[in-house]
Amino acid sequence: MENVATHEDWKVCFSELAPGLVLFARQWVRSPADAEDVVQDAFVRFWRRNLSIKNRALLYAAVRSAALDLIRRDNRRARREVEVFGEAERSVQPQFEQLDDSQGQLVAALDHLPRDQREVLVMKIWNELTFAEIAEALGISQNTAASRYRYGLAALKKTFQPQ
Amino acid sequence: MNDFTELESELKKLRPVRHSAELMSRVEGALADAGESTAKIIRPQHFRINWLGLGLGLAAAATFLIFARVDFRLTDKTKQTIASATPSLQQKAAALPNYQATGLTQVVYSKRDEGLVFPPGAEGPSRRVRTAKRETLRWRDRQSGAQLAVSYPTEEVSLIPVSGQ
Repeated sequence: MENVATHEDWKVCFSELAPGLVLFARQWVRSPADAEDVVQDAFVRFWRRNLSIKNRALLYAAVRSAALDLIRRDNRRARREVEVFGEAERSVQPQFEQLDDSQGQLVAALDHLPRDQREVLVMKIWNELTFAEIAEALGISQNTAASRYRYGLAALKKTFQPQ
Repeated sequence: MNDFTELESELKKLRPVRHSAELMSRVEGALADAGESTAKIIRPQHFRINWLGLGLGLAAAATFLIFARVDFRLTDKTKQTIASATPSLQQKAAALPNYQATGLTQVVYSKRDEGLVFPPGAEGPSRRVRTAKRETLRWRDRQSGAQLAVSYPTEEVSLIPVSGQ
């Protein structure tokens, strides 16, 4: 089993995965700093359990678990997150680089998707997980993962027309 | 044909914001700290299937079930005698010193993996497995040879930490 701890070039792995992991974590915590804390926490947990970096489903499940733990630990934070999610301006800080108008419109539409659809899109598009890996990470069936993906894309297509 | 190809390519053009420069050094430091602390921890062995043990266990279980079936037949033969001689035998059995426990049979008739769960306080996800069994306990009277059997259904839910094997 390839181990994160003994991986000679774990920095390369982490550099490749970190942007997607941070984006994934931001589905729950809107602050980039909190998202990075979550990713760090999950990665260290992963290392302590001697898990393989190739098991991406488990890595994303660990990030999700760490994010939910962070929210649970701080009820005030949770209330604040709920308030933020309820407002029209959902993303306080950008999640994507250098957006033009069209891309900004797309991100806004993405931000208004239901969370269960958005997290599947994030895992599939920007982290390139398979539906099997997504299903394992979220504890759902592959069909459900694929359906959420299609519903998410359909909802985006309604509100976004490429220019 | 995928109706969403164009939309997917538009989405893939979006680049997630790079993480901060300190994140890498923070993770490196945390890994080093965790390495120092975990070096002192005696880790329990990860879950692995021991094929020899599993084979021996299954053979033992099969043998036990064969004998248990024989016991059932003997029980059927003596059942009427027990019932007619002592109507409240179950209550008296515990008080009778001559009754000796002769066997316990556990037959698993359903085992269902209910998927990943995230137990509060746990370091990682676990799998929840629900097992339905029927247990049969038997006693035997040393003097008369009379037998007593009690059978009841049980259900067990266990959490198995996912090891990533």
